[in-house]
Amino acid sequence: MSRNSFLAVFNQRAALLIFLIGKLLRFFFFFAFIILLLKGTKSLAGYNLNQTLLFFLTFNLIDTLSQFLFREVYRFRPLVVSGGFDLVLSKPVNALFRSLMGGADVIDLITIIPLSIATFYIAYLLNPSALQSIYYLALLINGLVIASAFHIFVLGMGIVTLEIDHTIMIYRDLTALGRFPIDIYKEPLRGIITFLIPIGIMLAFPAKAIMGLITPAGVIWSIVFGGLLLSLSFKFWKFALKKYTSASS
Amino acid sequence: MKKYFQIFKISFQQEFSYRLNFIMWRVRNVLQIILTFFLWSSVFKNPQTEVFGYNQGKILTYVFGILLLRAIVFSARAVDVAGEISNGNITNFLLKPVSYFKYWATRDIASKVLNLVFSVFEITILFLILKPNLFLQTNLITLFAVLISLIFAIVLFFCLLFITNISAFWMPENGWAAQFLFIGIITDFLSGGVFPLDVLPFTLQRALYSTPFPYLLFFPLQVYLGKITGLEIVRGLVTSGAWVFILFVILKFIWARGLRRYSAEGR
Repeated sequence: MSRNSFLAVFNQRAALLIFLIGKLLRFFFFFAFIILLLKGTKSLAGYNLNQTLLFFLTFNLIDTLSQFLFREVYRFRPLVVSGGFDLVLSKPVNALFRSLMGGADVIDLITIIPLSIATFYIAYLLNPSALQSIYYLALLINGLVIASAFHIFVLGMGIVTLEIDHTIMIYRDLTALGRFPIDIYKEPLRGIITFLIPIGIMLAFPAKAIMGLITPAGVIWSIVFGGLLLSLSFKFWKFALKKYTSASS
Repeated sequence: MKKYFQIFKISFQQEFSYRLNFIMWRVRNVLQIILTFFLWSSVFKNPQTEVFGYNQGKILTYVFGILLLRAIVFSARAVDVAGEISNGNITNFLLKPVSYFKYWATRDIASKVLNLVFSVFEITILFLILKPNLFLQTNLITLFAVLISLIFAIVLFFCLLFITNISAFWMPENGWAAQFLFIGIITDFLSGGVFPLDVLPFTLQRALYSTPFPYLLFFPLQVYLGKITGLEIVRGLVTSGAWVFILFVILKFIWARGLRRYSAEGR
């Protein structure tokens, strides 16, 4: 499925190039902004330049990885509206797997390698201990688990409400709140985006762990939370499937 | 004129027919403002702080101003023009006694009015919740200059958006991609929509002032905040006006060339 998706994108080389340039430019603009901002202010919510950059790069890494893996979610609505989802259900492939990961995005794949190198380089500059590095990796994977749960919720919402385009974009906007350290937000918003809409656990905790700001209990709690959220999303998907009426087919 | 008034009315009603879409779009705008607001609030935690020529009041006014100006300048229905070209629907309009530019300009105005009403409502709510210390401009001449710069900004954005969209005459499959790059990324950042351009090095700022982008959001807001005064305002308005003229000529030229190339695919 991913090979087909890659071939489809490579068939439209101009679009591939335009989107790639766009994504790189957006990254570059934000990266430059953080450097210029911190040059003027010296710190942001108590974090220095490298620490702020690590928050930003970790956000980008999780965001890019989830876009690479779950791009098919963005194409789900037409399937449900047209009744094409019937064909997915009738095939011997798990419908959730097909809807979630059936079309990996080659544009994001291209950016993942340099992004990972930049992230690990900045993380290295913070001189983390071996344990802090392990926490970082564990929470990074946990961030991806939470991102998976979010995407499954969006798919379920797509079946129940037929609205997906804006839901996924609102998810993107919400996660964008994690582009900078979540300490910039005041309570109660900080609490809401840390625990209720767990953007903090998903995007900020890995960077905080490498800085030694998360306790071992906090790491374990975060991973349990991620697992619980994922199982809840599976339950919601099953609930949504029962609501699917195949109305337009 | 009457027919354009009817287009305005229909377009306004159409915006209401997709209410959930519209509300979601506004929610997204508010979320973006929340991020920017708290980012700058954190930088200017101490009210005495002054960075990049801003104090707390002025930077938070900038953030709220962006929400309002985005609604006025960036709200547009002409984003659909590329799709009309690639699926051949534009043929219907070419056969009708309606100016295609005026048709989309009218639809844009309907969209701006609706977005403006909602953004004023959102600003009021956010103001009551966040209680920011905003800067209020009281000089009538300055406010008049802001109004003129806004009119130029609206026309400038219309030209930029239309030029980007009619690239679909040459690459019908990639009209949306061109819009993502040129409008969604380049225009948004270089107009000061994401962060104030004052954070950039001075030489880069000066270079940017010779492009049309800062005149979309950044320049009107700088005039409002009193950061640009006197002859600088006049110079900015003249440059902005010149860009309106240049882009309009380019638009007409590309449109004429595009129409010659158009072969009504999909019809």
